Amino acid sequence: MSAAEQVRQYILENFLFSTDTSLLGLDESFLERGLIDSTGMLEVILFLEENFGVKVGDNEMVPENLDSVNRIAAFIERKKA
Amino acid sequence: MAAGPASLVDLLRESARCFPERQSLLLRGAVVTYGELWRDVCRAANALRAGGLAPGERVALLIENSPEYVIAYYAVLQAGGVAVGLNTAMRGPELARNMAHCAASALIAMPGHPELPAAITSGGTLRQIVTTPATAGIVPRAALTGTTTWHEWLSGADSADAPAQVGPHAPAAIIYTSGTTGDPRGVTLTHRNLVANTQSILAYLGLRETDRIVNVLPFYYSYGNSVLHTHLAAGASLVLENSLTYPHLVVQAMANERATGFSGVPSTFALLLQRVNLGEYDLSSLRYLTQAGGAMAPALTQRLRAALPAARLFVMYGQTEATARITYLPPERLEDKLGTVGIAIPGVTIEVQDAQGQRVAAGVEGEVCVRGDNVMPGYWENPAATARVLRDGWLHTGDMGHFDADGYLSLVGRSSDMIKTGAHRVSPLEIEEVVLELAGVAECAAVGVADPILGEVVRVCVVPGEGTAIEPRTVQAHCRDRLAAYKVPKEVVFVATLPKTASGKIKRFMLKEAG
Repeated sequence: MSAAEQVRQYILENFLFSTDTSLLGLDESFLERGLIDSTGMLEVILFLEENFGVKVGDNEMVPENLDSVNRIAAFIERKKA
Repeated sequence: MAAGPASLVDLLRESARCFPERQSLLLRGAVVTYGELWRDVCRAANALRAGGLAPGERVALLIENSPEYVIAYYAVLQAGGVAVGLNTAMRGPELARNMAHCAASALIAMPGHPELPAAITSGGTLRQIVTTPATAGIVPRAALTGTTTWHEWLSGADSADAPAQVGPHAPAAIIYTSGTTGDPRGVTLTHRNLVANTQSILAYLGLRETDRIVNVLPFYYSYGNSVLHTHLAAGASLVLENSLTYPHLVVQAMANERATGFSGVPSTFALLLQRVNLGEYDLSSLRYLTQAGGAMAPALTQRLRAALPAARLFVMYGQTEATARITYLPPERLEDKLGTVGIAIPGVTIEVQDAQGQRVAAGVEGEVCVRGDNVMPGYWENPAATARVLRDGWLHTGDMGHFDADGYLSLVGRSSDMIKTGAHRVSPLEIEEVVLELAGVAECAAVGVADPILGEVVRVCVVPGEGTAIEPRTVQAHCRDRLAAYKVPKEVVFVATLPKTASGKIKRFMLKEAG
């Protein structure tokens, strides 16, 4: 499974409580959807750190890196490069 | 003697007169001066009246923190209406319930709000609907009369300053809170309530026009509401940061804007201290920090003091029913009175009473009761709930506490079962009613369980129906459809039975420990 699909599955299961991929587009903004609040974001980061072996620095916690499934996938790719 | 301000509008008018060129509100790079703010408040008030708003009628606001929210709120007061700031995190059924309860005659809303259609269709009394500038509109205009965009609405309006003739004891605002019984509880606040609490807070915080606060608190709750009104009354600037999802961006804004103030609930400070190295930012301009919205652990207070030693930290306590603020702990007493919520704010009297309504001595625990111009006249259209908390001339807060010999108040818990999660109060009954809608749920009970950042998170204990199987995710997904995200249970625990007293009352404390 691609990183993007893994991230989407995690967001769906933990924030929308569903496995229906049609509920979350890969480029949809979490902020605009009101999907993930501040503590939710901490959970997402823990998930990324545990499952992708990356360390997310405080200064990397910005919407450019984390505000959609595709942005997270691209961020992981950059971190691993 | 000159008459004091009768309304918050009088305080804003004075700020605009004294500081027309100063910045009042900043959002994403856009700046509104006091002169501009005042002009738009007058125009919006006249537009509301032109649309048929009569004094005493309710105007619902479904708008995130923005200049439009502030303009609309003050315009409603100027026009003699009652401003009802709705929680933008709410889902359709919750909004519909509050809209119907307050019977709003006007709605001013963000066009992109996903629950706007539900809010509109529930408002059978709506005569005006205005959509603020934002993302693409989704308003079903065809079915509505009086729907207009913010720009159209203001552009045709007169900017004359024409305040409505309503008395200081007329209702000015309604703030919906979660009641333990789950029914809508709209705290009704009069002009006098709002002015009195604003002036009391100004007296102890000492705000001035050179102050600049980075604000993350929603204006639809009483704490954010009081931060807004006090800073506008002082002629200060509010930099609006509407999300804590990226905490270091908020701290960056504090540094960039040379903020002199910051206000938060305990979870705000827990998050900033956990995720941001505050020492990396130049926060030397910070003059004051305020904390309310639930008890903050003394250890967290001390960590905050150590991280930002130059800022004066005001620990405070309040309740929406008392407009916002009841006590504050003077920063110079923070060390020796740590763990208390301080003393009554100016103009407020506090008594700790026993179950018979008798005042108890210092050191003796009882219910915290409040008297003052900040105390609401009651809940909107809910005399039964009002009668439970306003008795014998006192507001019965439901908070248990005791005074020390110096008159400093300590809180020891609540006499109610409300769940406090982050900045929110959640009624267990409201969650239980939604969970019980699911086939396969025989019984359930919601409780708050400890969380290191949020204070508490929601746990729901479910007794499945006989021969039925139900997944935790099904329960959470159903709640997500019906309730604001912060009310969705983080934990779903299945139990064979709910522990009950002999009279059938659920022993909630036992459910907090289970799991």
